[in-house]
Formats: sequence, C-alpha cells, structure tokens
Amino acid sequence: MISLPPRWMLFAGVLATLALAVPPFVIARVRATPDSNRAVHLFFDMDFQPKFRPQSANPLFADGRAQRTAVAGTVARGEAGLDTHLSEGVVGGKWADTLPASMPVTRELLERGQGRFNIYCSACHGYGGYGDGTVNVRAMTLMSSSDGPANGTSWVQAKSLHDPIVRDHAVGMIFNVATNGIRTMSGYGAQIDVADRWAIAAYVKTLQLSQNASMQSVPPELRDRIKKEVK
Amino acid sequence: MSRFLFPRWSNLLLPTIILAATTIPVYALFFVAYGFSPKTLDVGYQPTQVVPYSHALHAGELGLDCRYCHISVEKAAHASVPATQTCMNCHTLIRPDSPKLAKVKESFTTGLPVQWTRIHKLPEYAYFNHSAHVSRGIGCVSCHGRIDKMEIVYQNSPLSMGWCIECHRNPDVNLRPTSEITNLAFDGTTELSVDERAVLKDKFHIKPSDDCSTCHR
Ligand code: HEC
Ligand code: HEC
Ligand code: HEC
Ligand code: HEC
Ligand code: HEC
Ligand code: HEC
Repeated sequence: MISLPPRWMLFAGVLATLALAVPPFVIARVRATPDSNRAVHLFFDMDFQPKFRPQSANPLFADGRAQRTAVAGTVARGEAGLDTHLSEGVVGGKWADTLPASMPVTRELLERGQGRFNIYCSACHGYGGYGDGTVNVRAMTLMSSSDGPANGTSWVQAKSLHDPIVRDHAVGMIFNVATNGIRTMSGYGAQIDVADRWAIAAYVKTLQLSQNASMQSVPPELRDRIKKEVK
Repeated sequence: MSRFLFPRWSNLLLPTIILAATTIPVYALFFVAYGFSPKTLDVGYQPTQVVPYSHALHAGELGLDCRYCHISVEKAAHASVPATQTCMNCHTLIRPDSPKLAKVKESFTTGLPVQWTRIHKLPEYAYFNHSAHVSRGIGCVSCHGRIDKMEIVYQNSPLSMGWCIECHRNPDVNLRPTSEITNLAFDGTTELSVDERAVLKDKFHIKPSDDCSTCHR
C-alpha cells in the first residue's frame, strides 16, 4: 500500500488544483459578457500617436473639435454657387425643367437616384413615394396617442409625392426641396452631395410618372405584358 | 543524534513533479493564448453613451439605412458618426422634449458636438479604409455584426491583424452585391452560390493584399 502525505498537504494540493480551474472560468465569463471598459494597455507601442484622426477631440479649441469647420463668411473655391441651375435648381428666376448640362439623364443616373432615394427619403416618404415610410407611420401613431403627443411631438404627415401639387413641381424645385427642405421637412444638402441630389430629383420625377401613366405612354409591344402582369 | 529520514510518502513526489512539469506549461500556454487573445480582451467593449441612442430602434425597427447617418462610409476611409443636424432632421418634430434627447438638443443650440465614446479603434500605426471594403462587396455585418439588433453598440470582432489577414486570404465567403452592403440580414454564404460569388470576385477585381505596406503605411 502507498503511504499518503499528511492530511494538510493533501488538502493544500487539492485546493491548488481546484484554483487552476478558476482562470478559465473567469476568461470564459469575460468572453461571454460585454464590458464597459476598454482593455488595459500594458504596452503602448505606437498605439496612440500625437496626431489627430477624423472626428477626434482637440482640447486646444473651444469647441473641442480637431476637425475645423470653415470660418463663418468664407467660401471654398468652386462652391460659390454661381451656377444657380446646379446649386439651387433655378434658371432665370424660374424652377429648372431640366437637369444641369453636366448631368445627362441615363439609366445609371436614375438607378443611382433610386438607390439614394431609398436611403435618404424612403424613411418618411416610403419606397413608393406615397408618404407611408416607417418613420412617418411611427410619428403619426405618436401624434394620435390617447394622452396627447408624447414629449412635444408635432409631426406633419410627409407629403405624398403623387399629390397633384407635388406632381406639378419642376425637377428643379424637387432638387431644391431635397437641398433646403420645405416647411417642416429639413434639408439634405449637408448629407447628400449635389450630383446625388439631382439624381434623386430625376428619380422622383420618374416615380411620379410611373404612378400616373396611361396605356398610351407604354410602347405598343409591351402593352399585352402590362395587362397580364399589372392588375 | 537522530538521522533525518524521508518519509515513505515522499516517493510520490517524483510522479507529482513530472505531472506538474508537463501540465503546467500546457496550462500556461492555454492561459496566455485564450486569456490574452483579442477575442477576450477587445471583443465586447460596450461603453455607455451620453445619449441612449438605439440602433435596434433606428436601424432595425425603423429600417433606416446605415448611410443615412454614416454618410462617408462609401466615399472615405472614415465612416463618420452623424452630426447633430442629422438627428434633428426628425427630432425637431419627434419627441423634441424627451429627456433622453436633452444632450442632442443642447448640442444643437450650442453648436458643440455630442461627445460620443468611440468603440472601434485600431492602433494608430494601422491603416484601415471603409470605402475600399464597402464599395467592393464587403458588408458592414462581416466586421460589425448585427448592429441593427444592438440597443447599445459593442465591438463584435477582434480587429486584430490575424483577423484582417484571415479575410484578406479568403475573401470569397464574405462577398455580396453592393446593393446588399447595408442589409445586415443578408448572408452571402447561404444566399449566393459559389459561382455567383466567383462572378462578384471577378467583377470587383478582388485580390486583397497581405503585404505589410497595405496596412502599415
Ligand atoms: C424625416 C422625414 C422626411 C424625409 C427623410 C424626407 N422628407 Fe420630404 N417631406 C417630409 C414632410 C414631413 C413633408 C411635408 C412638409 C409639410 O407639409 O410641412 C415633406 C414634403 C416633401 C415634398 C413636397 C413639397 C411640397 O411642395 O409640398 C417633397 C417634394 C419632398 N418632401 C421630397 C423629399 C426628398 C427628395 C427627400 C429625400 C432627399 C425627402 N423628401 C426626405 C418629410 C421627409
Ligand atoms: C439614425 C442614425 C444612425 C443610423 C441609421 C445608423 N447609425 Fe451607427 N451610429 C450612429 C451614432 C449616433 C453612433 C455613435 C453612438 C453609438 O456608438 O451608439 C453610431 C455608432 C456606430 C458604430 C460604432 C462606432 C464606433 O464608435 O466605433 C458602428 C459600427 C455603427 N454605428 C454601424 C452602423 C450600421 C452597420 C448601421 C446600419 C445598420 C448604422 N450604424 C446605422 C447613428 C446611426
Ligand atoms: C429618420 C428619423 C430619425 C432620425 C434621423 C433619428 N431618429 Fe431618433 N427616433 C426616431 C423615431 C421615429 C423614434 C421613436 C419615437 C417613439 O415612437 O417613441 C426615435 C426615438 C429616439 C430616442 C428615444 C426617445 C424616447 O424618449 O424614447 C432617442 C434617444 C433617439 N431617437 C436618438 C436619436 C439620435 C441621437 C439621432 C441622431 C444620431 C436620431 N435619434 C436620429 C426617428 C429618428
Ligand atoms: C472590413 C471590415 C469593416 C467593414 C466591412 C465595415 N467596417 Fe466599420 N470599422 C471597421 C474598423 C476596423 C473600424 C475602426 C477604424 C479605425 O480605428 O480607424 C471601423 C469603424 C467604424 C465606425 C467608427 C468611425 C470610424 O470610421 O472609425 C463606424 C461608424 C463604422 N465603422 C460603420 C460602418 C458601417 C456603417 C459599415 C457598412 C457600410 C462598416 N462600418 C463596414 C471595420 C469595418
Ligand atoms: C471580411 C473581409 C475583410 C476583412 C475582415 C478585412 N478586409 Fe481589408 N479588404 C478586403 C477586401 C475584399 C479588399 C479589396 C481587395 C482588393 O483591393 O483587391 C480589402 C482591401 C483592403 C485594403 C486595401 C485598400 C487599397 O487601397 O488597396 C486595406 C488597406 C485593408 N483592406 C485593410 C484592412 C484592415 C486593416 C483590416 C482589419 C482591421 C481589414 N482590411 C479587414 C476584405 C477584408
Ligand atoms: C490587412 C492588414 C494588415 C497587413 C497586411 C499587415 N498588418 Fe500588421 N497589423 C495590422 C493591424 C490591424 C494591427 C493591429 C492589431 C492589434 O490591434 O493588435 C497590426 C499589428 C502589427 C504588429 C504588432 C505591433 C504591436 O506592437 O503589437 C506588427 C509587428 C505588425 N503588424 C507587423 C506586420 C508585418 C511584418 C506585416 C507584413 C508581413 C504586416 N504587419 C501586415 C494589420 C495588418
């Protein structure tokens, strides 16, 4: 028979072995749960360098922005908006009926417009432009909640783009609404660049046409197919 | 004078030492590899933001496209976090007096930015570019996970060099058409066949490099 060491030694040995099982449990827990602290940096290497990255903070400026905004009243080269057709959708004091000359209407342009419309406009106006986007629906339920609109909500139904008044807007005016907004709708000039806003305006005109078309505007060879597929 | 005699149980010391000498290095190796891996240390970082903004509500339920807010993601290296004006497009009218939006409103009146806490952050010696990935068929979900299900954003991938290289050596499984880039529910591995992915790879001329100078420039 093997003789065993004293009790206390066995006890300490078993404890030590059990203690080895603790770290894996701790690690597994750390892996499975989110943590509100960033990992401790023991070795800095060159992880943090004395340079500024986009949207980082710089305490030297009063507003804390490392990325400086343009000084008030200055105009960057090429952004003076001298071509009112391009920058405002206005030609000779009237809404432009055409796209600026630098932007021929092609299938690509309309597809680009469709993509951008779906990103920036569909949330309120809906994919079809009927003013039934998710945000509009949600905001309208807030407006009609039984104890009055919550937290000062004052939403106005997003206009259907197939409303006869909107249908009569020239493409230049649609562009201007996308840029500067109208009444309660904010402008998207800061979020969407100028070419994309024109693409959106062109697409909106296309969408309006598609929802208000007569059989005469369909090429004869496609009319049978339309009758079969569209109810 | 009494002589010291080793007790009989000390015969057990030798096997114990051998056992310890073989298992402890394995244990230590495991401890370092598992415990100090970026998957343990970096994944799951979830700071509390000053505004309780929810992607699950805005991107998930309301279905806003990522690019509505992260406007530069397709054009630039940096995927900008939105300006206060972007929030105010809706929140001048939707719940403007909500206490949860107080900080946003304050920022809108003072012109000072909202102090969002940055989550994803590479060491500053590494170069990363969003547009190179996003416009070439790599969707947000491959790197950021299901953001549209997160109430509070957390880091979903280790962002370690090994992780970057793993995809650069085998990008095929992550490819998707550019129309599905921000569709986080789209899974290229089940919805596209191997051939379709090969076509995409051809179309975007995908040949990611693992030269050091690609990311350390
Ligand atoms: C945040 C929601 C929202 C988004 C996003 C939005 N709109 Fe609007 N839009 C509205 C609302 C609300 C109105 C109605 C404003 C009113 O009557 O006070 C409106 C009205 C309009 C009108 C009608 C103008 C008129 O003469 O009555 C046009 C055209 C329009 N939007 C185009 C766009 C385009 C193009 C986009 C995408 C760049 C867009 N909207 C994005 C909410 C939105
Ligand atoms: C309504 C605007 C909005 C939309 C839409 C939106 N985000 Fe965000 N996103 C934010 C804001 C604000 C932050 C900063 C606060 C935070 O981290 O929650 C942010 C943060 C993030 C971050 C973390 C940035 C960091 O600090 O590392 C990621 C990643 C991200 N968004 C991805 C997405 C993806 C993917 C989508 C599309 C499914 C999306 N976002 C849609 C506003 C938006
Ligand atoms: C396209 C419209 C839209 C934009 C842009 C938007 N939100 Fe919202 N937000 C909503 C809607 C709709 C709700 C839900 C309101 C409700 O039903 O309770 C909401 C709810 C919220 C709430 C919860 C308010 C409460 O009291 O429950 C917060 C906080 C919030 N948004 C923050 C932001 C921030 C920060 C941004 C900018 C990064 C932003 N939102 C941009 C539409 C928007
Ligand atoms: C190939 C992986 C990858 C893809 C795809 C990707 N991201 Fe990122 N994202 C990163 C990394 C890495 C960082 C950290 C960048 C840094 O520290 O410089 C980051 C950071 C961000 C940030 C914080 C701001 C910044 O640029 O540092 C936002 C917001 C973000 N991503 C949103 C998005 C959105 C939205 C998409 C999809 C349209 C997307 N990302 C796709 C890897 C990716
Ligand atoms: C999910 C797959 C994936 C992941 C993860 C990924 N990449 Fe990429 N990366 C790509 C693909 C695909 C390309 C485009 C390949 C090409 O240009 O042929 C690319 C290209 C690049 C480029 C080259 C851009 C140029 O100018 O040519 C850089 C830099 C880069 N990745 C850095 C990174 C870094 C840093 C990480 C880790 C934080 C990372 N990538 C993670 C798939 C990935
Ligand atoms: C696809 C992009 C990519 C490529 C290619 C790449 N690296 Fe890296 N590397 C990274 C990123 C991202 C990190 C930071 C990882 C982290 O956060 O730990 C890194 C970290 C490192 C570090 C660690 C620095 C430290 O102090 O921890 C070294 C060393 C390094 N890279 C060397 C190289 C060498 C040598 C090559 C060429 C064989 C190379 N890298 C190629 C992206 C890349």
